[in-house]
Amino acid sequence: MIICRCEEVTYGELVETADKYGCSPRELKLRTRAGMGYCGGRTCRNAVDSIAHSSTKRDVSQITLKYQPPIRPISFSKLGGVGNND
Amino acid sequence: MSKVIIIGAGPAGLSAAITIAENGLNVLVIDEYMKPGGRLLGQLYEEPNGNWWNGIKESQNLFDKAVSTGVEIKLQTPVSNIEESNGIWNVYTEDEVYTTSHLLLATGAAEAPLPIPGWTLPGVMSVGAAQVMTNVHRVKPGERGVIVGVNVLSSAIAMELKLAGIDVAAITLPKMNMVTKESGNPLDVMNSLLHVSHMAPSAFVKMGSKLMKNDFLKRMGITFFPKNGVKMWDIPIMLRKAVVEIYGESQVEGVTIATISPSGDIIPGTEENIAADFVCIAGGLYPLAELAAVAGCPFYHVEELGGYVPLHNERMETVLEGLYVAGNITGIEGAKVAISQGVTAGLAIVNSTDGGKQEAKLNDSIKAIEETRNKAYIQFHPDVKAGKQKLQNYWNEHWKAVVSQ
Repeated sequence: MIICRCEEVTYGELVETADKYGCSPRELKLRTRAGMGYCGGRTCRNAVDSIAHSSTKRDVSQITLKYQPPIRPISFSKLGGVGNND
Repeated sequence: MSKVIIIGAGPAGLSAAITIAENGLNVLVIDEYMKPGGRLLGQLYEEPNGNWWNGIKESQNLFDKAVSTGVEIKLQTPVSNIEESNGIWNVYTEDEVYTTSHLLLATGAAEAPLPIPGWTLPGVMSVGAAQVMTNVHRVKPGERGVIVGVNVLSSAIAMELKLAGIDVAAITLPKMNMVTKESGNPLDVMNSLLHVSHMAPSAFVKMGSKLMKNDFLKRMGITFFPKNGVKMWDIPIMLRKAVVEIYGESQVEGVTIATISPSGDIIPGTEENIAADFVCIAGGLYPLAELAAVAGCPFYHVEELGGYVPLHNERMETVLEGLYVAGNITGIEGAKVAISQGVTAGLAIVNSTDGGKQEAKLNDSIKAIEETRNKAYIQFHPDVKAGKQKLQNYWNEHWKAVVSQ
């Protein structure tokens, strides 16, 4: 069963990795690349977070998986600003 | 002063915009969707007094009022980043960077998915997507659907699909795994449903829920819960079945369900297929707080509010100067609460620009949120008030720590 569609990471891989390393959500993400694809984890974030929290305790005062701009898809030319053809 | 900017044209954002514009300030509302109203657009249900709450009409009213008070609204404009420099907030959209001294985030909520084998097939969608297709775009998501995930939102939307003449074969649980967790546990699901049983159209369910006060009776209730479900609006709600797989060659053709124990374990050999051409996944809502996160707000995970919420006080101020929040970004609640919160956020912004002339109104508006919350017909979490209290405590601790540094 696919969890991260962008990076094609399965439920099995995530559970196995979480089990083997007792990972935090961030470590689980870095080890498997789940949530690091072009959608920015918008589909699988909660799933990755849940799987990691099955074996580790949640720190309620921290967002476990960091958000980074741009939080919506944007073309490179727009992101880079004006005059990209110069 | 510069224009106040509000991100999100839902009930909270629009009511804040109206409040601010009525006080003579310029306001710009930005929203990524093509229509104003946010999640309010999809809502349609009958209230206990017999009135219908029609989200499309409510959205239109808010929009018309905003426009007539001089609010500028930019739709189809996603915000990709916000950043503060020298006391000014920069709001990045695809084509332009807007600046303001007062920024309100009213970005609402997003739906959590429940991964089930086959959930990547075409025809599988979130229950909110089916709602928007049906109520907003007037397009049938399919002829016959199965809803996976039993909660307030999914039962309300099931009824809406029914009203639109779409067959809902069943509402049932997802197979339990490390992601679906409580959503796949019949006892947990029943507990969460008991506090909304007043909405049930069946006297049997209303009466039954009154009897389910203690754990023993709850366990009995779920043990003897009819395997083929209890019907609401003619749709079987199956708490003792779970979808083990969504099947289909190149698109959804149906789901395989199996009987589960009261704690959610599959009973082997009970599998059967239900034909369907679409499947809705209902994993519940969580506050959509990406922009508050990139801005650097401190966050707390508060279960009762639906997940991570940016730290804020009852005036809807975050700890960052000039940054405000309102609506579901502060916790999952109904549209009426969001509207009240928008008024408070709006008054808080006006208050900070006119030297505190709004104090009395502001305090009244905070009380009004509380009243709206108490009267709310739909409550997404039974302990939302406890969640709000937790957040207030975190706020107090935060400032105590700041002062002692």
